[in-house]
Amino acid sequence: MGLITNYNLRSMTVRRGTAAMTAMGIAMVVAVFVMTMAIAQGFRGALVASGSNENAILLRKGATSETVSGVLRSQLPIIEAMPQVARASDGHPLASPELVVIIALPRVTDGAPANVPVRGVGPLAFEIRNTLRFVEGRRFTPGTREINVGRQAVTRFRGVALGNELKFGSASWKIVGIFEADGASFESEVWGDVDLMQPAFQRNGYQSVTLKLVAPSAFDTLQSTIGGDPRLDLKGYPEQDYYEGQSETTGTLMRIFGIFVTTILSIGAVFGAMNTMYAAVAYRTREIGTLRALGFSRVRIVAAFLVESVALALIGGAIGCILALPVHGVSTGALNMTSFTELAFKFRITPALLALGMVFSALMGAVGGLLPALRAARIPVARALREI
Amino acid sequence: MKFLGLVLKSASRSKRRTALTMMSVAVAVFLFGALRAILDGFDAVAAASSATRIVTIRSTSMIFSMPVSHTEVIRSTPGVTDVTWANWFGGIYKDPKNFFGQFAVDPESYLRMYPEIQLTPDERKAFLDDRTGCIVGDGIAKKYGFKVGDRMTLQVGIPTYGSRDFDFTIRGVYHAGGAAVDNQSMMFHWKYADERSTPQGQIGWYVSRVDNPDRAVQVAKTIDDKFANSPYETKTDTEQAFSAQFASMLGNLNLLLGSVALAVVITTLFVAGNTMAMSVRERTTEIAVMRTLGFPAITIFLLVVGEGLVVAVVGGTAGALLSRVIVNGEALGLTGGFIPAFGVSNANVAAGLALSALIGMLAALIPASTASRLKIVDALRRVA
Repeated sequence: MGLITNYNLRSMTVRRGTAAMTAMGIAMVVAVFVMTMAIAQGFRGALVASGSNENAILLRKGATSETVSGVLRSQLPIIEAMPQVARASDGHPLASPELVVIIALPRVTDGAPANVPVRGVGPLAFEIRNTLRFVEGRRFTPGTREINVGRQAVTRFRGVALGNELKFGSASWKIVGIFEADGASFESEVWGDVDLMQPAFQRNGYQSVTLKLVAPSAFDTLQSTIGGDPRLDLKGYPEQDYYEGQSETTGTLMRIFGIFVTTILSIGAVFGAMNTMYAAVAYRTREIGTLRALGFSRVRIVAAFLVESVALALIGGAIGCILALPVHGVSTGALNMTSFTELAFKFRITPALLALGMVFSALMGAVGGLLPALRAARIPVARALREI
Repeated sequence: MKFLGLVLKSASRSKRRTALTMMSVAVAVFLFGALRAILDGFDAVAAASSATRIVTIRSTSMIFSMPVSHTEVIRSTPGVTDVTWANWFGGIYKDPKNFFGQFAVDPESYLRMYPEIQLTPDERKAFLDDRTGCIVGDGIAKKYGFKVGDRMTLQVGIPTYGSRDFDFTIRGVYHAGGAAVDNQSMMFHWKYADERSTPQGQIGWYVSRVDNPDRAVQVAKTIDDKFANSPYETKTDTEQAFSAQFASMLGNLNLLLGSVALAVVITTLFVAGNTMAMSVRERTTEIAVMRTLGFPAITIFLLVVGEGLVVAVVGGTAGALLSRVIVNGEALGLTGGFIPAFGVSNANVAAGLALSALIGMLAALIPASTASRLKIVDALRRVA
């Protein structure tokens, strides 16, 4: 393998221009692939980060998201009394009854209204979501019209800043703190006291209850306790599963779009690679004849040309990955079709995604190189040697 | 023109190579057509919106409702000639995955407001007469096999409507006569949903017709002023502005699809440019001979550009035609609900052809200038 592979790899540098063009064609495809997948991953990541395996969220049976769920006021004490619910140091149950409504705020970029979720939370919500940290200001004081906003909401929507007032639900609310949450979807939200949000939005009751479990393993018994209580028409979900499910519709759509575009694009690049490899084979007919005359088998020739083609594609793939890297961490927003609100997230390029990009480029190289490699192996030795 | 034969001869020198290049250009133009079709679908909605229809929603957000008492206030606003209203129902047909728009509407005024909803007179009468009747777009009728007279049950999706299932009888299958209405929706009597809703008498949005499109903005403002400082403040926009906002919520589609299209063009440029370079390199000696015979440099240049153009445009034509045949809503069975008419327009076929011509010329530019500046002596001395 050594000699012949070496020969093929070195041959690549003989026609630098052609090889570079082919590699760049593949690089573009891989760059598009990595970028579109980075959108889908970032979107999913923002929602998955919202869930913790120590927490559970309770929704009305059959509800697919918080916006269409309902929990009665009278159901809250029953839930809080359950032994699976963790307690704060002062003995208060760590359960937050929540209400999510959508308000429209103008986007910074074009002033067009975007749907922003407003979450009314219980006083212990910040103890339950312990990944939340304040970057500016402080928590809202329960019982007042103070609110906290996520970091992404500040950068994406007009008029959202510390000390400003937001008008919604027939009242004015003062922003007293800005929080971050490891890029989770909460960063796109507005948080306030659930007991004041209810009358402001003419709601009677909650939409969900999020609680901290005494241990992640307590979820199963919690679920059966809820199921056994006729007063509760609720269903629990591990918080992580719930938020992952919320990303499904839009995330899948994004992935399908990315795959559609890159598949079609890759067909074009494969044709380009084929052209290059056919030319390489034609150009080196005599050399191939010589190799065959020396006793290298057809299989070895096929393998060697495939290696050349794959190597060329891998170089392209690496360039493509490098081209795509700068978008990592860039913020963008998209409509989550499940909750119908705008979710801010960052392009997320993971090592696994880059590896996938490389595999994809290798595949393009293999497909593009196969026919030319077979052709190389089929050339009759006598004729090949006669060629000039 | 007299050189066309020569151009074709050069292009068919290596048939396989030319065919592969044509196919990659075809793929690029196909993708371009498909992406444009998506954007056009959204633009069509905004463009087809009526200039005399204005939409009133709650100022907080569309998901909040307002009392039915707003109807008379809006109706009495100077310039308003007709009012109708609707609610989003958000029910579930068998499985949450079966998503289509369901609207509780005031049937008579709604059909009057939207002449785009085309029903036969019999269907129309049957729908108006049946309190639990509904009409469905021919798009979902096809997808789910709905026929006039069928029963249909929706599970409640929004808690406002209680927990009992809603039963309907399909009284008509409508055809969408304009992009302002999609053929993927279901409409039924607002009263039927209101009977079971808590609180009752709630309206999601109003649609009003104004007598003069030039006054639409002013009428919209008058309506909003009437409800200012009430618990139910409103925000009224022309239908056009309203649909544009709706599309913009899906994210910056123009930018996303634009960047993808750019990547497509660049990729194809690499592939086609590579081919042209190969083709010229092979013919170095021939070109030198032609120059010796007295062909001016500019002719050589044009010959190579012409070759690039011919190869790319042939590929582009195939791609454009293919996209026109494959990319349309019916062939793909696309029933997303938001995109009404979906297809590649003639203008986009033309744009695709222009794009392929551009790719062909750009790809040939560098090889062509190399060929035209060839030093005859060097080239003739070279052994290919």
